[in-house]
Amino acid sequence: MKEVILSVKNLKTYFFTKRGVVRAVDGISFDLVKGECLCLVGESGCGKTVTALSILGLIDSPPGRVVGGEIFYDSTDLTKSSAEKLRHIRGKEIAMIFQDAQSALNPVFTIGDQIVEQIKLHLAVSQRGAKERAIGLLKEVGIPSPEEVAGYYPHQLSGGMRQRAMIAMGLSCDPQLLIADEPTTAVDVTIKAQIIDLFQKLKESRRMSLLFITHELGIVSEIGDRIVVMYAGRVAETAPAAELLKNPKHPYTSGLIRCLPDITQEGERLESIPGTVPSLVNPPRGCLFHPRCNRAMAICRKEEPPPVSISRGHTVFCHLY
Amino acid sequence: MRKTWLRDYIIKRLFYAVIIAWGVLTITFLLVRLGPSSPADKYLTNLAARGEEPTQAIEAIEARYGLDKPIYEQYVDYMGNLVRGDWGWSFSTSMPVTGLIKAHWIYSFQLILLSTILAALIGIFIGIYSAVRQYSKTDYIATFFSFIGISIPNFWLGVMLILLFSVQLGLFKTYYDTSIPLLSLANLKQLILPVVTLGTGMMAGYTRYTRSAMLDNLRKDFVRTARAKGLPERTVIGKHVFRNAVLPLVTIIMFDLGSIVFGGAYLTEIIFGIPGLGRISFNAIFADDYAVVVAITLISALLVLLINLATDIAYAYLDPRIRYD
Amino acid sequence: MTKKRIKRLAGRVGGIKNLILIPLAALWLLTLLLDIFVVEKIFTPLGYLYIAIGILALIYVVWPLYSGRRLVDYYWQRVKKNRLAVGGLAFILFLILLALIGPFFTTDPTAANFEEKNTPPVGFSIEESVYHAETGQFITKATSGTWEHPLGTDNKGRDLLAMLISGAGVSLQVGLLATGIAVALGTLIGVISAYLGGKVDNILMRFTDVMMTFPFFLLLVFIIFIFGPSLAFIVLVIGLTGWTGTARLIRSETLSLRTREFILAAKALGASDGRIVLAHLIPNVVSLIVVIATLSIPGVILAEAALSFIGLGDPSVTSWGMILRAGQQSLDITWWVAVVPGVMLFLTVLAFNFVGDGLRDAFDPRSSV
Repeated sequence: MKEVILSVKNLKTYFFTKRGVVRAVDGISFDLVKGECLCLVGESGCGKTVTALSILGLIDSPPGRVVGGEIFYDSTDLTKSSAEKLRHIRGKEIAMIFQDAQSALNPVFTIGDQIVEQIKLHLAVSQRGAKERAIGLLKEVGIPSPEEVAGYYPHQLSGGMRQRAMIAMGLSCDPQLLIADEPTTAVDVTIKAQIIDLFQKLKESRRMSLLFITHELGIVSEIGDRIVVMYAGRVAETAPAAELLKNPKHPYTSGLIRCLPDITQEGERLESIPGTVPSLVNPPRGCLFHPRCNRAMAICRKEEPPPVSISRGHTVFCHLY
Repeated sequence: MRKTWLRDYIIKRLFYAVIIAWGVLTITFLLVRLGPSSPADKYLTNLAARGEEPTQAIEAIEARYGLDKPIYEQYVDYMGNLVRGDWGWSFSTSMPVTGLIKAHWIYSFQLILLSTILAALIGIFIGIYSAVRQYSKTDYIATFFSFIGISIPNFWLGVMLILLFSVQLGLFKTYYDTSIPLLSLANLKQLILPVVTLGTGMMAGYTRYTRSAMLDNLRKDFVRTARAKGLPERTVIGKHVFRNAVLPLVTIIMFDLGSIVFGGAYLTEIIFGIPGLGRISFNAIFADDYAVVVAITLISALLVLLINLATDIAYAYLDPRIRYD
Repeated sequence: MTKKRIKRLAGRVGGIKNLILIPLAALWLLTLLLDIFVVEKIFTPLGYLYIAIGILALIYVVWPLYSGRRLVDYYWQRVKKNRLAVGGLAFILFLILLALIGPFFTTDPTAANFEEKNTPPVGFSIEESVYHAETGQFITKATSGTWEHPLGTDNKGRDLLAMLISGAGVSLQVGLLATGIAVALGTLIGVISAYLGGKVDNILMRFTDVMMTFPFFLLLVFIIFIFGPSLAFIVLVIGLTGWTGTARLIRSETLSLRTREFILAAKALGASDGRIVLAHLIPNVVSLIVVIATLSIPGVILAEAALSFIGLGDPSVTSWGMILRAGQQSLDITWWVAVVPGVMLFLTVLAFNFVGDGLRDAFDPRSSV
């Protein structure tokens, strides 16, 4: 029996702005099994990052707020936890790393200091112990001469090194779950591959659960165990990775897969999904994808599609089924 | 590696500061010599007013000021004298200028020091609070008052304070008493009004700049990272955000110094009768005592230079990003 | 002069505007030199400053505003939403009206009338010990304010309202002219420095650093001490010493604009002509100049007021600082003479600060107005 360590149920996070209420996340549910890598996939603005931030309670509280749903970690509902409790979980049980290491790291403190800070916050170690542990972590993520690098400032490192350093910081207190928000997006192609390899290695060696957020399907196929496809704040389809890529059911998913340039096909135009993402302030009724869907039916305009189970572990939200 | 870079930077900046100092001295010299009435003329008018015989004095002055020599020789003499510590003679007080400065600098110093400390402590604190609690009632009140503080003419504020507290309420004396020992409570008491006068404008500025620097940094990504690490909010703000906000703050404070602090101190001294360098210079203006006016203008400029230098070095130390270009 | 030749000439000096400026500036200089050497007193010193700033303002401010009417209207809509800025603008207009029309309705501010000295404003009354000639004793006499002198009189019997109106005129003139000079000079130096770069930039910036090292007010005092206080000269000196901040800001903005993508885009579209590049650069700098100018005016007004306050102002002119000084000297009796000019200064500074901030927010595309 697989152990579920994170269970998100019908999460709703809205942003209350001058121009209206933005429904960034409008009813997302998924379960994350211990030791697996779950990928949240979707276009920019579909609510992936907001979901991740909601888990840790990091939504900026004027405009934003978690307005509904539950997030269960280890039988505790995080949406109802006190700030104190959340702080104990952040960085220790659930760690999060971000997209652009250059801006995510504090420019005036050294890499070593920033990692040590986190270690000393959650673990009972001495300064020296923390420093040694930090150096060990830098080594683990593949940074050469870790002792030297620990004394560097973020701007002194290359993009790939910085990303690794941030990963090291995320791992510093041996979290049960690591949330990675688009860690490969801001990085060169060659580095991308290295980072993915690193994640795979870490997943195996640490037996860590990973919530991997990205908009690149190619990456998902390499590292993901299960995939959740998001669109405009809602789930479109959930399936194990291989199954999803082989057998996509939701028109959006198949559209995304078709968009991937195929090196074997010659002279074909790049495919794209026509239209744009709907406004999240006043979402249209029914299925949010219907304006762009080439298989839309009358019912799609009126009712939100309910979850349909295609096969074991494969659920799709579409009226076609 | 860091240490030697810092040393090189300091040396480079010192060298540059010397060039600027030279520029300052030269411009001062040019201004004086370009003036319609030479120092000698002013002294002579003074003498004539006192009914003394001018011709001997004329020769003595010309010899002293070297006005009979060509201008470049005067320049060299001027520079030489300054560097050697001969800053001239103040005839209105019958003292060497250096002596005059030695006797009076402490009054300016205590005024500026106390005002700066008061302004910085309160201003920065309010600025941080205001930024963290943006849009709250406290923020609006603080912003409102800082706006007022910046707009109030500080010399008028001084007069109003005297009007209210000295004339109407009789709580303070209207004039600074130098017989009171400096390190006493009574001295502190009579400094209250001047310090409030000078400090209010400064405090308003500090509040504003701190608030804006904090707001800029509160939006940055590393703040979110710090929170994601599980750090308590006070550490996030007080350590991560503040440490970044301090950088522009330091620059702005230094920039303000020349325009607001020294000018403000000058006026405050005059209003409250505090015998600091500002007041001395002021008296010298109306006595046509050139040497003193020149000297104090130079000193103020050189002080600004020194503080700029110190700030630049401090900034280089505080911001690691500019160190490794 | 064919159109083509004019265009080419304009290209060489950096724009049509510069082309028109040159003969006008030459004419101004010629008149000035004639005035000095042939001793004709064509215009007063203040008059020359007005003409100079006027020409610059017409060519570089009024003309662009007129040709960019739609843009101006867009920005004006944004400014209008800021109530404080609008309030400030209203106050400034009121001041201008006061300064222009007021003198026709009030008595001469310099007329000393010892009979009526020390009268408080309307609604207040003070008690004074007055020597009564007939009885040869001191009796306490209560004087209360009358509508004849609605704001009271000072210890020489001068009407405070009249003095205030005169002071309004002085402050506005100084504010406008001195800021005009400072901003013009600062912009010139900043743009030249940024555009020419290299050694010129180096020297100009070193010079700016030296000038910035002098504390502004002390430098003012120093120069006035040497050369003497007259209003035109004070205006000139404030202008000639207050340009440093502007120069720095304009320079850094110009430098950053040069490398921005839209300039590169313009170049890629074939706009390699220096004149067209300037047509892209200048509008972006203009908004900055306007904000700097508006926010500099309070400092200038306060500088002149402070100078008058300590006694280094033009003695033939009634300025607010001078009134404040008179008030301070007899603070125990005529306290209103010290309060009122300060209030006016404060409100004026506040008004310009509000307008300047409002303009800054309106010009900033990132702020939601």
